Amino acid sequence: MASGIKDKVAIIGMGCTEFGERWDKGPEDLIVDAFEQALADSGVARSDIQAAWMGNALDDINVGNSALPLAHALRLKSIPVSRVENMCATGTEALRAAVYAVAAGAVDFALALGVEKLKDTGYGGLPLRTKGLANDLWLPYGSAPGSFAQLAGAYAAKHRLNGDDLKRAMAHVSWKSHQNAVNNPRAHLRKAVDMDTILKAPMIADPLGLYDCCGVSDGAACAIVTTPDIARGLGVANPVTVKAVQLSASHGWEMSYGAWDGSYVLNTREAARRAYAEADVKDARTELSLTEVHDCFSITELVTMEDLGLSDEGRAPTDILAGTYDRNGAQPCQIDGGLKCFGHPVGASGLRMAFEVYTQLLGRAGERQLQTARLGLTHNLGGAPFNSVAAVSIFGRLH
Amino acid sequence: MRGVARVGVYAPLLRLDCAAASRALKFSGLPGRRDGFRAVGGWDEDAFTFAVEAARGGSPPDALVFASTSAPFFERLHATLAVDALGLPRETRSRDVAGSRRCAVSALLDALLGSSSDLIATGERRAARPGSASHLAQGDGGAAAWVGDDAPARLLGWASLSHDLVDVYASREHPYPYVAEERFVRETVAAEILVPTIRRALESAGCSGADIQHAAVHEPVAGLWREISRATKSAAPNHAADVSAKLGDLGAAHALFAFALATARAKPGERILLAGFGSGCDALVFEMTRPMPGAERAEAALREGLALTDYVRFLSLSGALELDWGVRSEFEQKAQPTVLERYGRDALGFVGGRDSKGNVQFPKSRIPVRPDADGPEPMQDVRLADEPARIVSVTADRLNYTPDPPFWFGLAQFDIGARVMMEFTDANASGFSVGDRVAMRLRIKSHDRRRGFRTYFWKAAPAERPALGG
Repeated sequence: MASGIKDKVAIIGMGCTEFGERWDKGPEDLIVDAFEQALADSGVARSDIQAAWMGNALDDINVGNSALPLAHALRLKSIPVSRVENMCATGTEALRAAVYAVAAGAVDFALALGVEKLKDTGYGGLPLRTKGLANDLWLPYGSAPGSFAQLAGAYAAKHRLNGDDLKRAMAHVSWKSHQNAVNNPRAHLRKAVDMDTILKAPMIADPLGLYDCCGVSDGAACAIVTTPDIARGLGVANPVTVKAVQLSASHGWEMSYGAWDGSYVLNTREAARRAYAEADVKDARTELSLTEVHDCFSITELVTMEDLGLSDEGRAPTDILAGTYDRNGAQPCQIDGGLKCFGHPVGASGLRMAFEVYTQLLGRAGERQLQTARLGLTHNLGGAPFNSVAAVSIFGRLH
Repeated sequence: MRGVARVGVYAPLLRLDCAAASRALKFSGLPGRRDGFRAVGGWDEDAFTFAVEAARGGSPPDALVFASTSAPFFERLHATLAVDALGLPRETRSRDVAGSRRCAVSALLDALLGSSSDLIATGERRAARPGSASHLAQGDGGAAAWVGDDAPARLLGWASLSHDLVDVYASREHPYPYVAEERFVRETVAAEILVPTIRRALESAGCSGADIQHAAVHEPVAGLWREISRATKSAAPNHAADVSAKLGDLGAAHALFAFALATARAKPGERILLAGFGSGCDALVFEMTRPMPGAERAEAALREGLALTDYVRFLSLSGALELDWGVRSEFEQKAQPTVLERYGRDALGFVGGRDSKGNVQFPKSRIPVRPDADGPEPMQDVRLADEPARIVSVTADRLNYTPDPPFWFGLAQFDIGARVMMEFTDANASGFSVGDRVAMRLRIKSHDRRRGFRTYFWKAAPAERPALGG
């Protein structure tokens, strides 16, 4: 009988580069910078790493295929190194693999590293890519904002919301993240933006304006994991441990079976339900100190608040406008600026979320440190609402 | 008695206001059409999609003929593609005809002189240089005619003439129309080609020009019918002129479109003269015996449309202006023949599957999407192209490249249960919203300009079209 992952794995070191338009850094630089931070944080030696997983979503944008870019960059000497990819949930997939390896007892120390070099595309946003030769015969080549924008119309129709009211709540989501990122030295966008600017921004995909969309970034994030016992042996008496890592993937129901109303993300709900059970979280609204969710677009964060059970269905706009998820609200969300402002180097984002929770749990977040940080959740979403991969993870201290 | 059993027409949504185009060209002093409208295909339409749209709804024919002078492929049979797009049996005989604006009428005559039930599907989207008279005079659209026995429009007589009069030509070296002097065409075509051929057709039908109530005569220059009608003593209105005024000259599709309009306006017992022109003439005389199935769409197609007054957009849509769409447009859309062989027919015909418990889905899969399916099931083919649907979710995507922004797409829920993430097209002024009713239209899915290849799929369009100017 499976007993789940809770407290079986400790995170003993994490690193994260500055995210942004890193014109001066190649993927090797980003990998090495994130890893060296994590290594120094962990106190273990490079040679202690027994297995590694590299998360990279768009290998053709400079990084290169397979896991060899990681093995080469870090000169990992003939250990098992694998590449994982699950769209924007890739970073969490790398962490999940490393965590499972340690929990299984296969290795004592495992490395998860996510890296992306998206600014080598030569333009903003994600590149248009084939969806497979057969799918290309019929699936639209929609952009990421176009895919997520559809949540808004369906949500407004379901809850009989005025489009302007929904737009205002969405704008508050972005406004809050811009405010938060000012205090984050690693963030891509460290500039507060007023509501009027957000509301009047050029349209990207109706009804998402420029500030409703996160950009894409260069960056890398990294975690070194081991068992709590080994962590204690290294002098970490009360390490950050993994309470839950859950993943849910679409199987075609949303986009091919006539039941989904288009207003929520099924896989977030499924992954959250299982993560809460795995972490023994009974009441997410009171037990979670912070959340780092996949705010690729403002509407995504809005519906995620409901999908995670933090807002009642149909209430997220009201809660958002009431400041519930602001820095000083009851349930701070994106305290680091989120994808919107910390940035979104796709393969690194899941690990970046974990990095912020880890940093907050250890009280190292400086100006953006929350007063109470006991349990934190990350939500890493890949694909589109109608065809997604959602990862929900929960982290806390061992004691 | 052999005759035309059914007609079909199709005109694209956009109608260029020629006065607006003329104003944009005023600086140049170039002569051009100054009034009326010109039908303008969307970026995702071509001669083939027009022909298929016009040919929807009839009975399966024994043979399908595709007629066009602007077919996208030299070596790939459009009639065969149309067989799949229309969901016809693959045993249907298929052939393409081209070479002259007359080719559709010639194919119709051949079919009428034969013994099988044939479908003539014609579409035209001809290129022309901006500033040329042809660019504004031409229009985009399609028409179709089904031939059979005991038909509502029975053939009374016919005549043909092969005559290489070069009023216009286009060639591989010069793909745009090269037009002869109008006065030469006006005087020579009437006297040497149309009038004598029409007279012989009338003789063949055992009637005179006075016995003709409706004409569908493809005029190479506007107003030529006046001279022809004088010479043949016919007082019939030429419905082809209405098509020219509202849609432009539809090339190979023009005469059949005008014929469809004539059948809509003709009463039982009235006679229709159909004449196709180009490198000679085919003239046919019909008698209407009862209302023509499909004819009602002809009047509606002339009434509907969305006015286009943006000349630059017209230049872009008509291929006369190649904009630099930026780095995001550098996207490979190569289609592989192996993949087309496995999945192409289901995509072109929009064929999904019904699982063992009756749920319909697209595309088909080994294990159905139905939640309680727990293993492979056989699936029965279900064609979705003619099924109504509504919008579940939608957006106007302004980020991704499309030749005519924005890029509308979303989830369409078919009334029979299937659900498909798909592109939307033919947005009217208010765009698309959740809950809107939509109908399927065959369109270009991908256009691989580097390799000169295109694939087709269906897109969701508003179930109703707006009235032009409404």
